[in-house]
Amino acid sequence: MKTFFELKDSHLLIIFAVIISFILFLLLLGTIKLEENIEKKMIQISTADLKSIVLNSAKSIKETLDKDKNYVEQILENRNFHNKIETNLETLVTQNIKYAYLLYKDNRGVFRFLVDGAKGLNKAFPNQKFDIDNKKWLMLFDTKAPIIIQNKYLKQISITYLVPIIQNNEVILILAIDFSIKKVKEINDIISIIKDTIIIVIFILLLFLFVLLIQSKRYISVKQSAYTDKLTNVFNRNYLQEYEEFINLDDYIIAAIDIDNFKLVNDNYGHNIGDKILKQVAVIILKSTRKKDDIVIRYGGEEFLIFAKVKRNDNLIALNVIERIFINIQKEKFPISNKSNLDITVSIGVNLQPAKSKNFEEAFKLADKALYLAKDKGRNNIQIYNENSQVHDDNKLSINEIKEALDEKRVFCFYQKVVDTYTKEEIFSEALLRIRKKDNSIAEPIDIISSIKGTFILRNISKRVLKICFERLRKNKTMFLNVNLNSQDIKNDSIIKLLEKNAFLDKDISNRLGLEIILNEKIAKDNKVKENLLKLKELGYKIYIDNFGVGYSNLHYLCSIKVDYIKIDGDIIKSILEDKIAYLFVKNIINFAKEADIKVIAKHVFSNELYEKLKILNVDYCQGFLFDKPKSFDD
Amino acid sequence: MRALILMLTLISFATSDQYTFLINKYNKEMELEAKIIANIATLATKGEIKLFIPNISKVEKKVYSKIFTLVDKCEKSNFVFVKKNIKIDPKCLNNKRLFFTNNYKKLLNKDIYFGAFFWSKSRPNIVFIKNRLRTKKILLPKSYNKFIEDF
Repeated sequence: MKTFFELKDSHLLIIFAVIISFILFLLLLGTIKLEENIEKKMIQISTADLKSIVLNSAKSIKETLDKDKNYVEQILENRNFHNKIETNLETLVTQNIKYAYLLYKDNRGVFRFLVDGAKGLNKAFPNQKFDIDNKKWLMLFDTKAPIIIQNKYLKQISITYLVPIIQNNEVILILAIDFSIKKVKEINDIISIIKDTIIIVIFILLLFLFVLLIQSKRYISVKQSAYTDKLTNVFNRNYLQEYEEFINLDDYIIAAIDIDNFKLVNDNYGHNIGDKILKQVAVIILKSTRKKDDIVIRYGGEEFLIFAKVKRNDNLIALNVIERIFINIQKEKFPISNKSNLDITVSIGVNLQPAKSKNFEEAFKLADKALYLAKDKGRNNIQIYNENSQVHDDNKLSINEIKEALDEKRVFCFYQKVVDTYTKEEIFSEALLRIRKKDNSIAEPIDIISSIKGTFILRNISKRVLKICFERLRKNKTMFLNVNLNSQDIKNDSIIKLLEKNAFLDKDISNRLGLEIILNEKIAKDNKVKENLLKLKELGYKIYIDNFGVGYSNLHYLCSIKVDYIKIDGDIIKSILEDKIAYLFVKNIINFAKEADIKVIAKHVFSNELYEKLKILNVDYCQGFLFDKPKSFDD
Repeated sequence: MRALILMLTLISFATSDQYTFLINKYNKEMELEAKIIANIATLATKGEIKLFIPNISKVEKKVYSKIFTLVDKCEKSNFVFVKKNIKIDPKCLNNKRLFFTNNYKKLLNKDIYFGAFFWSKSRPNIVFIKNRLRTKKILLPKSYNKFIEDF
C-alpha cells in the first residue's frame, strides 16, 4: 500500500538534516571569525590609550636628544640623557606594561639595550645584547612606523609595541614596550565569556533542534496512526482528506466497495463478529491489491475505497485488481464460530475515468453511483460507471451476472450455417455465444463482451464455448464448427492447452473446428499470437480471419500465417449493392484470395439480390439470414 | 551516539599528553633551557657530557636527566651549569671543566664562565665571550656568531 507521507517525510528529514548541518557549519565559522574580530578589537581598544602614552614618550625621548648628533652615542656618553630617558621609561612600567626599554641595532645587526625602564636585577646594562624572538622586529626598519607584535609563545608577555625613533630618515632607536599578559588575560576573559555564551546558545539551539526532531518524529508517528484505521489497518478518511490533492486521478481508477447486508451481520451476530468480518475483508483487499501501487481506504462503516493504479493507460489491469477483490471475498469463508461460517459478498462501483471529473469528490460520487446501481441490481456484483450510460443499459450483463451464468451453466451457443455459394449446401456452422438470463431472455455477445473485455471472465467464457463445441463435435462426427476467439484467448496458455489436448485426443476434432479471429494491429505484431496460430494450424485447426475489410486488414499477415478462410465484414457485404467502392473492394479481395488459395466467406447475406451479386463475384461461401438464422440445435 | 562517545574518548586519550600539566608541574621553559644547554655542551665538549648543576632541584633533575648524564659531584663532571648564586668549590675549578651560567652579570664578572643562557625581557638570550671561548679552545659554528660578544 502506497504511503505518501512516508515518502514525503523521509525527504523532509534529509532536507532538515542538511539544513541543520549547514547552519551549524556556518555558526562554527561565524564563531571562529567573531572570536578573532573581538580579540583584535579588544586589543585595539585596550591598548589605544597606552599606545598614545608610549608615542608621547618616544617623542619626549627624541626631544631630549640633540638631533644633530648621533642618538646612540649621546645616550651612551651622556649620563644625564640616560637618566632622563630612564626616568621616562620607568614611569611607563605599570601593571599592564611589563617592560619598557630603548634599543639600538649595532653594525653587526645585533640589538642592544640603551636604557631599560626595569628596576633592580631585571635592569639590562647599556650595550647588553638582546636576542629578538621575532623577525617582525626587522620590519620596523623598512616601514619606519610603529608595529604591534602578538607573542603567542612568550610566557609573560602578550603584546610587544615597537616605536621607531628616526634620525635623518633612519631608524636609530627603538622604543619597545612589552604588555604584560594580564592585559590580554583580561581580554581573553571577556572573549571567554562571549565564547561560552555562544557555546551555550548553540547548545540550547541544538537541544531545541533535538527536541524538535524528536517531536517531529513523534508527530509523524502520531500522524501515521491518525491516518490508519485501527480496526482494519488500512488508511482511514483522514488520510484521504490530507492527501487528496496529491493523488493524481489520471493514475487511478476508483472503486467503492460495500459489504452486502453488513447491518444484518451486526444485528444477528453482534458487533464483535462484524468487526472480525471487517478485518478479514480488509486483509483480503490488501492481499488482492498491489502493495506499491494501490491505495486502500476505509471510507466509512463497511465501505472501502480503492485507488487502483492504471499502468500505461491500460485500466484493465486495475480493473482486474477490483475483480480479484470481488472474487477473493466471494471465495473466502468468514468464520462466526468454530463450526459455522458466513458467506460474505460485496457490491462494487467502479469509476474507470476519475480524471474526467473536476476533483476527487466528483470522481468518488460517480463510483458511488455505480455502487448504488450494483446494490439496486441485487448486490454481489460489480458495476462500472460510464458516462455513455453503460451502467444504465439494462440489457448489458454485469460481470457478476456473467460469472453467475458461468457457474450456473447458462452459457450456451447458437449456431448459424455457412453454405456453399453455388450448391447452398451447409459447409459448417458458426458457434455463437449466448447467455440465458435469469428471466429466460437471451443475451447476445454485444451485451456480454463489453463488461468483461480484457478480464479473465472473458477467457472463462471462451473456454466454456470451446468445451461446448468440442462436445458437439464429439456427438456429431460429420459436423464442422467454427468458434470465435479473441486475441487474449490466442495468447492464453490454458486455452491453447485445451485446444492442444483435444487435438491430441482426437485429430478428427481439430480438423472439424475452425477458429475465427478478428485481425488487429496488436495481434499482427504479437509474435506469441503468430506462433500459437501456426501451432494450432499444425494441429489441424483451420484459421479464419473474421470481419475482414474493416479495422486492421493486413494482407501480408494473411500470407505469413497461411490463413485458410477470410470472412468479409457484413457491413461491407451489405453495401456492395449501392456502393461501387465496396463492390470493387470485395471483388479485389476475392481475386486476391483466389490467387492466395484462401477461401472467402461473405457475411450478412440477407437478400437474393445480394446473393446473386456475390455469386457473380465468385464468393466461395455465404452466411446470413437468407440461408439460416442463429439457433440452438434443439430448435 | 555510542560511536560519537567512543570517538571523543579515543581522541581525548590520543591527545592526553597535551594536558599532563594538570598533574605534573609545568616545566616547558626548563625543557627548552635543557635543550639549549645540551646543544651548547655538545658543541663545547668532546666525548660524553657529564653535567653537574650545583644545588639541583628535583624538577631540574627530572628534566635534565632526560638529556644528560647528571653527576652528583663537580669533580666527576666535565660541564658545570651554575644556576644559583653559590660559591664554587675551588677543587672543582680546573681548565678541563667548562662552566656555563644563567646569569649575565655573573658572566661579565667571572672569567670561569665561557657563556651564559638567561631570560631577558622574558626572551631567551645566549651570550658567549670570544676570549674565553678561545682560551677554552671552543669552536662554535658560524651560526653562533650572533651570540658571541667581543669584550
